[in-house]
Amino acid sequence: MRAYIRGPLAETAAGAIAADVLKACVHCGFCNATCPTFQITGDELDGPRGRIYLIKQALEGEPVSRLTQHHLDRCLSCRACETTCPSGVEYHRLLDVGRAEIATRVARPWHERLARRTIRFLTGHRQLLRALLILGRKIPAAQPKRAAKPIAAALSRKMSLLTGCVQSAAAPHFNASTTRVFAAAGIGLTETPAARCCGAVAFHLDAADEARAHVRRNIDAWIAELDAGSEAIVVNASGCATFIRDYPDVLADDPEYASKAHRVARAVRDPVEVLRESPPIAASAPANPRIAVHDPCTLRNGPGLEGAVARLLSGLGYEPQPISDTHLCCGSAGSYSLLQPTLSHRLRADKLEVLTANAPAAIYTANIGCWMHLGETSSTPVRHWIEAVDAVLGAIQETQTRETP
Amino acid sequence: MNDATEVLADQVRAAAEDRRALRIVGGDTKSWYGRAPVGKPLNVSRHTGIIDYDPSELVLTARAGTPVLEIEAALAENNQKLGFEPPIFGPASTVGGVIAAGLAGPSRPFAGAVRDHVLGARILNGRGQSLRFGGTVFKNVAGFDAFRLMCGAMGTLGVILDVSIRVMPRPEESISLVFNEDWQASQPRLTRLLGRPLPIDGAFHDGTRLHVRLSGPRAGVLTAAEELGGEHEDPTIWDQLRHMTLPNLRAPGLWRLSIPRTAKLGDIPGEQLIDWAGGQRWLSTTASPSQVTEIAAAVGGHASIFHRSDDDQDVFTRLPKTLFELHKRLKAVFDPAGILNPGRLYQGL
Amino acid sequence: MLDQFDSRIDPTFAPVDRQRLIARLQEALPERGLITKTEGMRVYETDGLAAYRGMPSVVALPETTAQVSAVLRICAEMSTPVVARGAGTGLSGGALPFPGCVLLSMTRFNRILAIDAQARMARVQPGVRNLAISEAVAQFGLFYAPDPSSQIACSIGGNVAENAGGVHCLKYGLTVHNIQRLELVTVDGEVLEIGGDALDTPGYDLLALITGSEGLLGVITEVTVRLLPNPVHTQVLLAAFPDVRQAGDAVARIIAAGIIPAGLEMMDRLAVNAAENHVHAGYPVDVAAILLCEIDGAAGDVEDGLSRVGAICLEAGASEVRQARDEAERRRFWAGRKGAFPAMGRMAPDYYCIDGTIPRRRLAEVLTEITRLSGVYGLPVANVFHAGDGNLHPLILYDAAASGEVENAEALGGAILELCVAMGGTITGEHGVGREKINQMCVQFSTAEIETFEALKASFDPAGLLNPGKAIPTLARCAEYGAMHVHNGQLPFADLERL
Repeated sequence: MRAYIRGPLAETAAGAIAADVLKACVHCGFCNATCPTFQITGDELDGPRGRIYLIKQALEGEPVSRLTQHHLDRCLSCRACETTCPSGVEYHRLLDVGRAEIATRVARPWHERLARRTIRFLTGHRQLLRALLILGRKIPAAQPKRAAKPIAAALSRKMSLLTGCVQSAAAPHFNASTTRVFAAAGIGLTETPAARCCGAVAFHLDAADEARAHVRRNIDAWIAELDAGSEAIVVNASGCATFIRDYPDVLADDPEYASKAHRVARAVRDPVEVLRESPPIAASAPANPRIAVHDPCTLRNGPGLEGAVARLLSGLGYEPQPISDTHLCCGSAGSYSLLQPTLSHRLRADKLEVLTANAPAAIYTANIGCWMHLGETSSTPVRHWIEAVDAVLGAIQETQTRETP
Repeated sequence: MNDATEVLADQVRAAAEDRRALRIVGGDTKSWYGRAPVGKPLNVSRHTGIIDYDPSELVLTARAGTPVLEIEAALAENNQKLGFEPPIFGPASTVGGVIAAGLAGPSRPFAGAVRDHVLGARILNGRGQSLRFGGTVFKNVAGFDAFRLMCGAMGTLGVILDVSIRVMPRPEESISLVFNEDWQASQPRLTRLLGRPLPIDGAFHDGTRLHVRLSGPRAGVLTAAEELGGEHEDPTIWDQLRHMTLPNLRAPGLWRLSIPRTAKLGDIPGEQLIDWAGGQRWLSTTASPSQVTEIAAAVGGHASIFHRSDDDQDVFTRLPKTLFELHKRLKAVFDPAGILNPGRLYQGL
Repeated sequence: MLDQFDSRIDPTFAPVDRQRLIARLQEALPERGLITKTEGMRVYETDGLAAYRGMPSVVALPETTAQVSAVLRICAEMSTPVVARGAGTGLSGGALPFPGCVLLSMTRFNRILAIDAQARMARVQPGVRNLAISEAVAQFGLFYAPDPSSQIACSIGGNVAENAGGVHCLKYGLTVHNIQRLELVTVDGEVLEIGGDALDTPGYDLLALITGSEGLLGVITEVTVRLLPNPVHTQVLLAAFPDVRQAGDAVARIIAAGIIPAGLEMMDRLAVNAAENHVHAGYPVDVAAILLCEIDGAAGDVEDGLSRVGAICLEAGASEVRQARDEAERRRFWAGRKGAFPAMGRMAPDYYCIDGTIPRRRLAEVLTEITRLSGVYGLPVANVFHAGDGNLHPLILYDAAASGEVENAEALGGAILELCVAMGGTITGEHGVGREKINQMCVQFSTAEIETFEALKASFDPAGLLNPGKAIPTLARCAEYGAMHVHNGQLPFADLERL
């Protein structure tokens, strides 16, 4: 479809991205078939083809209102549609441009603004967030067991590890496990204090400029690390990894950062991408091998890593059970679970039903958002898959470890 | 070869003007089927000839009065056949009559109905206008499929002039098996077999034995025959079934029940031959018409008197009122004066 | 452009009190069942034929048959046209809103109501996706045979309305051959049962009449489909040809040899390249055409059939013949074919998919003529088609932004369709007439035939409210099109032998 983008956006790199994506779309409607929200509401406005059309209208200068914003808000950004699109439409890139544009043209009611502002604020305040998550019974009150962290300096290969905002408050043990597993593989991981939050939360909550400030700070920190010999940026929250891969689009109109953003984006690795190169060897058999693996949308649809975690865990003696409708999002989708509770809860109920169909001992996922969201109502324990690897690798040599702070 | 379009059209136009009923006659081999014909005969049997037949197209187009045996002979020469295996009740039987009656043989559940094999038709409507619907190609969705409506309409919607039929290659191999068991044992056996991709293209029960026909490419048929067991039998029994020359099938008063294949039909006195893997029952019974109709309706099917006796008025199961009203409107579309085979299907149609 | 309805030659309706219509529909529909804002209705202005656009008065999203009845009753009482829409994947503009109509979206009817594996039937709501049926019955070793290229997204209600085909029609038939029973709501809100669970019903074969009636006779609210057992063994052969005519010749020879492939598909150079770029199906790209021939059945028969097909292709001049090495490759071969249309999105900003059928023996002749027409109109044409059925899908590549190209593409499409009619074929094999081919209906059918179609419609829908301006042209339109079309008494393609 040809689009005629009007207004100041037409002159920008973001406008060019939107025009390119729109041009590739032939309006065939295949995308609706795999869209989780379209399955639920059956309304063209809640499917990718309809959203593309809404964005097209807006960018072509038609009047937009809360109606368009409401239906774009309901998109999970899961990118399942991109996997079925025969024309190669990069829907999420258009969505990012469209959402940002509409945020400048449509005023949200005060309660929505407040909700967004509160979420952005909390993600920047770890201790407060943790306390609230426990109070709200979003995560267990018990402190996760303090895991021993190996000393990075003793290892020959070096990579950087994203700390994460929500994750560092809700599940600091993910990074501890990741560090131990990587140490066993001979890779030292270090966290960069200057690059805590990837910036996705702010970007998706109408604060694109705030997000860009974050992103520039992160890029500066990571470029310094990469220059100092770090091989890659390991991100064990697939949602954050996806956003970092999109840094070039986020800073598309910033010539100073364009090439640096590309370099950072290219350096991002999910742990499974690193570990599958020389798969870890189990020291012991898993205690409860029957498991379910939930591939987050951000793992399967963006980087195309569907099944990679299950294969890795199979190699360690786990028995991942078959799962149906793997393309449907669990409803977490960053802050979506807070802002769109109805759709989100429906998707979660459906997802837990298929995940537990074969009575697994635990559900393993790869993203902090899915972990919190599923864990909130699941009667089966939900964990990060790196914990499953950690559990069978055995103790790490005392001399190489120290307590986490 | 003779094109009688103009002659027939003149006759129809004249009848329409005088509002005179016409009884459409081909080979006159099925006058006992349906309600009693009335009116002046309109003889289509002199409108004859195969107009086009290219075996590589799998399509044959013929004028309605062409004897169906002539068509089958032409097909046989090219190792092809009519996939719907119509019953033929005499050498004079015409292809137009076969289409208008809409009767399909033993292969019906596997190869489809008459209308599934018809690609197009030229008809005369009740005004004597020549109309062509459909065409000569398999995939064609232009316009309403009015030609499919002609199948089984008993000539009440138009005089079929020519018809294009999709033909099929003859199977490379065909084997008939017989199992000595009653229907109670046969029905679950068939349900099991039909859930699998086996080359079955016929299954009937004669009251004491189940007959299964396997047809298709050789390897599949031979493998299936070996696996299914049973005894091999002379396959000509399928021709007798198709043309209804088996005992009792040509007797006046014979009922035809069309019901869901897996249904359990209630008890009814008399003898049944069960064809279409359970979906078509030929019944000779002392039960009253309303009993027969009800027992078929109870399982979601319908019953008709296949071979009319002299005193039979209605032969087909009555339609709900709204549907019948719709039928009358459809009839009026094609035949506003109501002159074509009036009452042959239902009174008032 | 044909998306513009013309009051002189298309049906017209008196203006409706929109506020009253909205008020009455709101009573009949659930919350969030009615869209009235232009901003929200815009996404419903078009279907899979995105070049055509029209604005409805409102969009209704019913959830039950009773609600459909109620909506139709209101529309009948208020003389408001109604356009039913399924998944909106149709390529002939069948779901294009008639200006000011009530657009009736059936997507919320998305439940599979019952699967009877023993009887090999499934009862489904019309919004259920075609592929979802096969997925749901796979556990019983069954499948639903018709498989249009859009099967991942298109809905069964739309399939019935269009009598949809697919790549396996040659052996397994079209939608009409694979359904058993329908629930149909008439324009006055009456619910009719058409067909049944037995193989036939008394009276006229209404099931066959409704199938393919493009939403002109009623709204389908339930469909019972027939299921088939999955074949034991399926294998596909790919043959590459240095000349398109050789490929066409191979097709005729395969059928004449008495082989009925499950699928027999052909793609020309442009289509092969586009599909290969997108799907990486492993097609050879430096060829004039490829044939995909799928045979299913017992292992021995498949092997035997394919070796015969392979020999025929080589005899006809194929430069390469190979079978898929494994199931994954077989799926890739088909994925390339099924993704071929939308993959054109990478070759040009817009494409226009044509859908004529011709007798197989005219294939080479027609392809040559299409190439010539492509040159005359100055627009590239890629050919993807169901060669086994003679069903062509020439894809005209154009750029809607370039001045006059839309009209040019439309004109080239019309010329190709009329070529199909001249060859003894038809203007639509499976996509339906819709709005797109409304003028070409005048070429294929006589005045008396079109009058019959109109009367058939009127017997269901006397006021002509259901999907007006589609599928059946008015005689006024035909008169005008004929006048526009026949210049100096000359028919198009005067130099070609006519049937």
